This record gives sequence, structure tokens and C-alpha cells, in this order.
Amino acid sequence: MSGWRSLLLRIGDKCPEYGTSSDFKDHIETCFGVLRRELEHPENDILPFLLECSEQLPHKIPLYGTVIGLINLENEDFVRKLVEKTQINFQDALDSGNCNRIRILMRLMTVLMCSKVIQPNSLVVVFETLLSSAATTVDEEKGNPSWQACADFYITCILSCLPWGGAELIEQVPEEIERVMVGIEAYLSIRRHFSNIGLSFFEDDGETEKVSLEKDFLEDLWDRIQILSSNGWKLESVPRPHLSFEAHLVAGKSHELGQFSCPDLPSLPLSAILYGKQKHEAELKYPQRIHRLNIFPPNKTEDIQPIDRFVVEEYLLDVLWFFNGCRKECASFMVGLPVPFRYEYLMAETIFSQLLMLPQPPFKPVYYTLVIIDLCKALPGAFPAVVAGAVRTLFDKIADLDMECRTRLILWFSHHLSNFQFIWPWEEWAHVLDLPRWAPQRVFVQEILEREVRLSYWDKVKQSIENAPGLEKLLPPKGGPNLSFGTEDGKEKTEHALSVELNDMVKGRTPAREIISWVEETVLPLHGLQGIRVVIQTLLHIGSKSFTHLITVLERYWQVIAKVCHDEDKQVMLIGEVSFFWKNSAQMKAIAIDRMMGYRLISNLAIVRWIFSPENIEQFHTSDSPWEILRDAVSKTYNRISDLRKEILSLRKNVLLAEEDAEKAKLELDIAESKLTLVDGEPVLGENPVRLNRLKSLAEKAKEEVISVRESLEAKEALLARAVEEIEALFLSLYRNFSTVLMERLPEASIARTLGALKSAHTDVMAVDFAESSRMELDDENGRPKNSQVNGGTIANVYNAGEKEQWCISTLGYVKAFSRQYAAEIWPHIEKLDAEVLTEDAHPLFRRVVYSGLRRPLD
Amino acid sequence: MASLFKDPAKLSAYRDRRFSGTQEEFEHALQTSTTIYIGNMSFYTTEEQIYELFTRAGEIKKIIMGLDKNSKTPCGFCFVLYYSREDTEDAVKYISGTILDDRPIRVDFDWGFLEGRQWGRGRSGGQVRDEYRTDYDPGRGGYGKLVQKELEAQRQLVDYGTGSLGAFQPVMAPQYGRHGGSHGHGGSHRYGRDYNRKRYRDDDRHVHDSSKRASDHESRRNPDSRPEKNPRFRESGDSDEEDEDDRKKRS
Repeated sequence: MSGWRSLLLRIGDKCPEYGTSSDFKDHIETCFGVLRRELEHPENDILPFLLECSEQLPHKIPLYGTVIGLINLENEDFVRKLVEKTQINFQDALDSGNCNRIRILMRLMTVLMCSKVIQPNSLVVVFETLLSSAATTVDEEKGNPSWQACADFYITCILSCLPWGGAELIEQVPEEIERVMVGIEAYLSIRRHFSNIGLSFFEDDGETEKVSLEKDFLEDLWDRIQILSSNGWKLESVPRPHLSFEAHLVAGKSHELGQFSCPDLPSLPLSAILYGKQKHEAELKYPQRIHRLNIFPPNKTEDIQPIDRFVVEEYLLDVLWFFNGCRKECASFMVGLPVPFRYEYLMAETIFSQLLMLPQPPFKPVYYTLVIIDLCKALPGAFPAVVAGAVRTLFDKIADLDMECRTRLILWFSHHLSNFQFIWPWEEWAHVLDLPRWAPQRVFVQEILEREVRLSYWDKVKQSIENAPGLEKLLPPKGGPNLSFGTEDGKEKTEHALSVELNDMVKGRTPAREIISWVEETVLPLHGLQGIRVVIQTLLHIGSKSFTHLITVLERYWQVIAKVCHDEDKQVMLIGEVSFFWKNSAQMKAIAIDRMMGYRLISNLAIVRWIFSPENIEQFHTSDSPWEILRDAVSKTYNRISDLRKEILSLRKNVLLAEEDAEKAKLELDIAESKLTLVDGEPVLGENPVRLNRLKSLAEKAKEEVISVRESLEAKEALLARAVEEIEALFLSLYRNFSTVLMERLPEASIARTLGALKSAHTDVMAVDFAESSRMELDDENGRPKNSQVNGGTIANVYNAGEKEQWCISTLGYVKAFSRQYAAEIWPHIEKLDAEVLTEDAHPLFRRVVYSGLRRPLD
Repeated sequence: MASLFKDPAKLSAYRDRRFSGTQEEFEHALQTSTTIYIGNMSFYTTEEQIYELFTRAGEIKKIIMGLDKNSKTPCGFCFVLYYSREDTEDAVKYISGTILDDRPIRVDFDWGFLEGRQWGRGRSGGQVRDEYRTDYDPGRGGYGKLVQKELEAQRQLVDYGTGSLGAFQPVMAPQYGRHGGSHGHGGSHRYGRDYNRKRYRDDDRHVHDSSKRASDHESRRNPDSRPEKNPRFRESGDSDEEDEDDRKKRS
């Protein structure tokens, strides 16, 4: 990389490019010195590179801004172009709704204002334009309040600029900025409080009043800015290198920003359902960037100003966003932010808040796993302890943690430990053995161990819990597949013989169709259902040695299974057989069912039916296994749809291209045909016959191509229509089943209207095992910090839910998780769901969690 | 996301000699492929472990274990096929360099699996890198193949190769420095377990497999210098012959 590039890239870092100096002023002078020479060669693409650096390394924007300010003193034209380009990029970002780019370009413009590159009034115009767009959006009459997410985002962007240039704005354009602040205050008074229901990490016990009292993200930011303003706009987290060069910079010519506009939003929907759909869409398009997860008690976290916390979060989120996939740079920027205070706790909270973010984090959870691993290596003295502290706190509150978050936490933690030799002070958690089977902490430990075994092997994990040997009880069974035939006397022998026969046929490579006839002629007539079982078990056994063995058997003999399990009843039986065969391996059970669904040997509806069979229902609160299978089934159905959508999108493009080609060919042919050619001295219509024929055949071919692409598009669209029907049926069946099992087990609606009521129902009404629960209380007092004030709420310190209550709480938690994850797919079918499942008869608690998962206002 | 620090021209330093096309075609294949190559794995790592780890990047279509072409047992690499390109990229981004089975694994884009690529390309059947290694790596069959041969030759001078079935621990030659007994706790634990399983499985075969093919198969390999057998790869007690057969059929 050429010198000027790496100087720009590395500015502000401790690096060889800048020698021993770590002083920003030196860096800026060095960098500027080299750049001013390079600017003499116009072929250098300094401008785009400088902008790229500013957009992707936003924590360095103050440094870039000052460099640009210095260039402005010598090369006004270059900087004018840069400002123009910035504005074009900003308009593009607004039009496409690219949130990160909008926010960062506004920060860049603010910093350029500080370096005297942009006129303060121009920046105020930017603010006012966004503000007026936001105010219109939330106006009930003129706007469309369902898009408040967008309006809130614009206001957040304005406020986010102030840590970088608030002081300068107040100094230079006090009245104008005051007007903006008044405008924002007015906006805050007309917008609706953003309710976090359905997206909060912890169950809020249904105390809706409490939730609405909590500040939402924008109100919170407003408070932080108010404090900043009352502190004279002083903060520690934003470097202000331009101050060292102020005497020079004032001589520069400030440029003006041109016109720009905010995109129009859809008009106000007419029905409540459409309103809900649009609101959901808006929130997906303009998501809140962070949901704060306050893990550590205030005395533990770094003592910093509210606004500094906000700024550091911004830095961290930006690094996570822009350095996804660049491990080394990501870790080094995360630990080397330009702030004069320590921030390990804040960093851990920020990463965990992303890992657990609902409905989903910006990247796959495994990315955050990697970041945490790398930070533990980069800061071996500080970070591992902070991570362990976070795990302990989350473990203490696990009963209140959202189900989806729990699953992510289990996957993360097991994976994390597998990267650090599975070392963990398990003795701290040995007390979960005294809790009932369904206690969330116990289930949590059990599921971590399950995942550890999957990533490693049984003996290894057993060895890792040596300091709490009792926990061995929570390890999954060690055994392999479970091949066994009917227990009725005498039958076993014939079944064994049957199995051996099939085994030999498979070994002898008998083709599937011959085995099918053997099944039809010998097995079914003589052995009936039991024969089918033997066939299934034998095939499973042959495929039991590895994932690939399973795939091979299915590839070769799926027709045999399809033959014997041709209807939904038989498919449910098939799943039951798989479950029995793999009762010792939750992983192989899930894989086998998933692959069979892949071969369409079993439908997702059959899986749902099986999940809601008694043997599974009774594990809803004690094991993740049925949920894993259900998650796989829904996600596979969803993947089919989303693949089809992608294919259709690209086919549509192909149709357009083919049509263009066909038109071109036709036009060429027409021109050729209309040309007059002299044949034997006589003018004849049409060009020379050879060329004409060639053009004709080309035009013909192009036409055929259009037809064929259109046909494949139609075929795919038909498939999509079928897949959409399929997913609708799946959701209907899923919610119907949920509604039924919950209705059967939830206490009367009059007793349990909220989750909180449900949790205390046990102690109030139900029979309690007092000996058990009092012992648990003691454990808890030993194990937990008593007054941990987390997320503003008090935590339920004692686990005292009865089995039935825990079953309901867990199941409701999963209902919410499914609804939230697939909200975008569920919304299009909401009318049907309302009519058939979410009726007046449904249990209010069930309705509540579905609504909150969908982020749908409760009437 | 960030394009600043990435050198787009440098997709992979490794150029597969078996790829028949041009460098350009090779790069195109890497850029569009949904197959990854995983290297530096332990011989003991199972498909199910790979499945558990790699599904965290997305839905997996297929796993193809790299096998020693003589012994037909895993030899420390594999291919994973995804359904989508995005998931493939995420697997490379997020899993390369992390630990699987106590080893940092390498994950790279692969130009696409073809029949035959599952076999080790080393002279002795495994991967080339395991031919010339002089370190002792318990996760990858102990010493490198050449060193193993040398050790075997030395041992036969001493005990004429009798009763060596149980002598799993190679005799330490002083010029190789490290002593087999001193490797880490986890390693030796597994080693011991391995040993028991191996004896059992070998005995098993002697009892049941008397077919010509099996004994033929047996005589081809030297029981001593052969790396430890993998207890986690196949769970059931079926004969090796069948395993091998299956592998061939499948591929």
C-alpha cells in the first residue's frame, strides 16, 4: 500500500507509520504534509479514499476532519469537491435508508463544520430538514405515525452529532441551534413513547406501567444531551484535534451544502392491521441500534459521564459493524479507542447487548463469539474476568431472561468454553442439582453441557466438570444409537431375522425398488406395522455411524421410507421411531428429522404434530430438544421461501434482460427488412438474404429465450405460492397447538392475567413442596448478590415456581420467541390467524405473548 | 463491510495443483463456491462435531471427511458444503482460526468438491503435511509418517517385530527431542482411551473376519507404525471392511 494511503488508514493508531509519536497533532501534521504533495498528482484517488476512511473508521472522523480542514487552506477546489461528494452520498443514503451511512455522514459534516470546511448554517439546514420530516411523519393528520421508527431515527441522528460539534454550534449559531433544540423538544412531546415490549431481554413481569415509565432510547439520549449541554458541551470521549490548528483553520473558506430532501414515506394506512404491518416494516428498516443490557452493578462499571457512555457505544458498534470479518483490526480497534478512560465493562455490555439483541443482532451470533474470544486474547488480564462476571449475572437472572436470549447464551457459552479448554468454575453452579428438574438455572447448565459434548466428546466434558462431579447427572446420556425391536415374546426373533435380511439386501446393494417390492410382498402382509418399524429402525441403524452414513442411506433408500410412511400418521410414527432410535443423542435425533424433512419424507406439519405429542409436551420446560427440532422445521420452511424469493428476483432481472435482447434483435431485423436492396437492378424490400435469415433466426431465438425465462419464472412463482401456503398452514397448526396446550394448562384467565401473576400463582394457590422451596431460598441467598439492581428492575430472588407454572412460563417464552423471529412471515397471514386462533376464546396470556412477539399493540 | 484492510486480490495463498483451469478460473471458483476446506483438524474429530460447529454459520448440505487413502480413516481435513454463499463466507470469516477439539482449525474457500479429493495426497496415504513432520502431534497420529517408519525400523532391530501389537507408544529416538510421555493431560487421556478401544476392535476383527479380503487388507498395513485408530469415528463394532466399502460406495 502506498505511503499516503497507509498514513490515512493508520492515523491516530500506535503504529510504525507514525513512528514513536502517539500525539494526534503530530499525526495530523505528518499526514497532511504527505497528502499536500500527493495532491499535486490528480491521478491519485485521494478523495474517494479519504471519504471511504471517514465512513468506515468513524471513530477517527475528528482526525480526518482536521486534515481536510488543513487541505482546505491550500486546495479549496479539492475540498469543495469533497463536500459535494459527501452531500451526494448523504442523499443516496437517505433515499436507500442506509442508517449507518446517514448517521456517519452527519457526523462527518459536523466535524467538517468544526474545521471550518462547512458553514454552520448549512449544518443547521440539514438538522431542520430532518426535524421537519420527522415532525410531519408523527403528525396524525398530515403524516403517517406508523413510520415513527424513521422519524425517531432522524432525531437520533441530529442528537448524535452534538457530542462532536455542540460546542462549536452554540458558539457560532446559538439562536439557530436553540431553535433546533426547541423543535426536538416539541417532537418529543408529540411522538409516542417507544414501547420495548417483545424486545426486552428480561421478562418485565407484565408490569406495563413500569415499562412505560422507563425512558426509551430517544428520550434517554435527549437526557444525556441535556446533561452535556449543562456541562458546557464538555466531554472526554471525543478528541478535538482541530483546536490545535484553529488559528490556521479560521482562514479557510467555508463551503455551503446544496439542497437535499428526505424521501417520502407511504401514506397512512386505513386499517389497524395495515397500520401494524407498516409499523413492523418501519421498525425493521430503521431498527434501534442498541438495546442497552445493563449487566453490571453501577459500582462495577466505569465511572463516566452519560454522554461518554453513549459515544463509546457508538464507537464500539461502528467497529463491530465495519470490521466484521477482519479479526485483527476489529480486536485492535475495539481495545484502542481514542478515549482517556478504561471501558472493559462497557465493552462487554455492548457486545452482549448485540449478541442477545432482539429480534436479531446485525450479524450471526457466532460473530460475537469470535469477537469475545479475540478480546479475551487481546486483554488477557482484564477481559476474561469481565466476561465471567457477565455470565454469572446472566445466570443469576436466567429465569427472567427471554427464551431466545437463553438459547443464544447457551450456544455462545458452550462455544466460548470450547475455545478455552472447557475451563469454568463449575462448583459455583453445583447447587443447581438441588433445584427441581425444570428450574431454569438447572436446565441452563444441562443445555450448556449438552452443547459442549456435541462440540467435543463425553469423556472430555466429564473431565472438565471434575470440580463439581455431581453435575455429571446433568450430562446427556453417553450411549450411541438404540436399536431394539418389539418386546413381545417370540416376536423379537422374527423381527431380528427381518432386520438381518434387510441389512443383507442393503449390503448387497439391492436397488430401492426391489426392496420396496420385498416390503410390499413380505413385510407388510406378514408383519404389518411392526414390520414397518423394523424396516425403519434397520435403515436408521445402517445410517447411524455418521452424518454422511445417514445421508447415504437416505439418498439411496428414501423411496423405501416414503413407501412405508406415505401419510401424515405414518410420518408421525416415523419421527417417533427416529426419536426412539436416537433417544441418547439429541443432536442425531434433530439431524435425522431435519434431513428427512429435506427429503420430504416428513412434512413440517407432521413434525408439529409430533412435537405436540404427550412425550414431548412433558419436556417443554426441561429440555431444549423438542424446541430445537421445531426451530429446525420452521427455519427450513422459511429458508425454502426465502431461497425462492431470491431466485424469483434474479429471474425477473433475467426476463427484463431477455426482453431487451429480443427487442433489439427484432429492431435489427425490422431495419434490415425495411431496407431496399438492389436485386438484378430492381429495388427489393429487405437486405441480402443470408444476413436476413441470420437476423430472423436470432430474433426467433431471442423470442424463445424470453418465453423460456418467463416460463421458469412462472414455475418458480407457482412454487413460491405453494411454499407460502405451506408456511401459512404451518403457522396455523403451530399456533393452534400452542393455544390448545396452553389453554389446558394455564390457570383460569381471571387468576393469571400477567406472567407475574403466573409466577406467584404457585405460592398463592398451588400446593407447594415447602421443604424443597425453602432450601432453594437458602441457596439463592448464598449464590446471588442481594441488591443487584439490573436494568432498573429488582430481580426475583427466589426460584419458587412449581412445575406447572414453569411449564407455562417456558412455553409462553417459546411462543414469544417464534412469533418474534418470524414476525415478518406471520404478519401477511395475520387475518387468518386472528380468525382461527387468536380469537376471543384464546387464553389472554397466550394472546399477549403472541402480540408482544409480533410487536402488535394490544387493542 | 470494511474493504479498507482487505486485499481483494488475495483470496487464498493456497493454489490447488489439481485445479485444471487458469488462475482466473480458480479465483472465480473460490469467489462463488459454497464449499469450504477445513484443515489442521484432529484425526479424532467426528462429522457430528463438525456439524455442530459449522451449522452456526448456516444450514449444511454435506460433509466430506478427508480420509487416509490406505487406511480409509480420517486424516485431518474435510470439506463442508453449504446451501448459500453467504453462509459459506460467514464460516470462513468466523470459524477460521478458532478451536475445534483443542486445535486451531483453518477454514478456507474451496473451489468445489470432486470425487477423489477426499483422499490424502501424501505418499503414505494421509496428508502431505503429515509425511515430513518431525513433531509429536497426538491429535494427528503421533509423529510424521517418515519419522514413524524410521522408528519402526529401529524397533524391529530390537524385538524382531513380535508382540508389538500393544506397543502403541513409539520408542523415543533421542534426536527427536520430545518425549511421548510428556504431552498434555488431555492428550494422554485420550491416548489411553484410544489404546483400549484399539485392542478391542483389533481382537474383534481377528475373531470375526476371516475372509480373504479382510486378511489381505490386514497384511497390507504394518500394525505398529500405523497411527492410532479413531474411536469416535465409527461408533458401532462393525468390521473395517464394511466401513471401507461404504465409504467407496458413498463417494
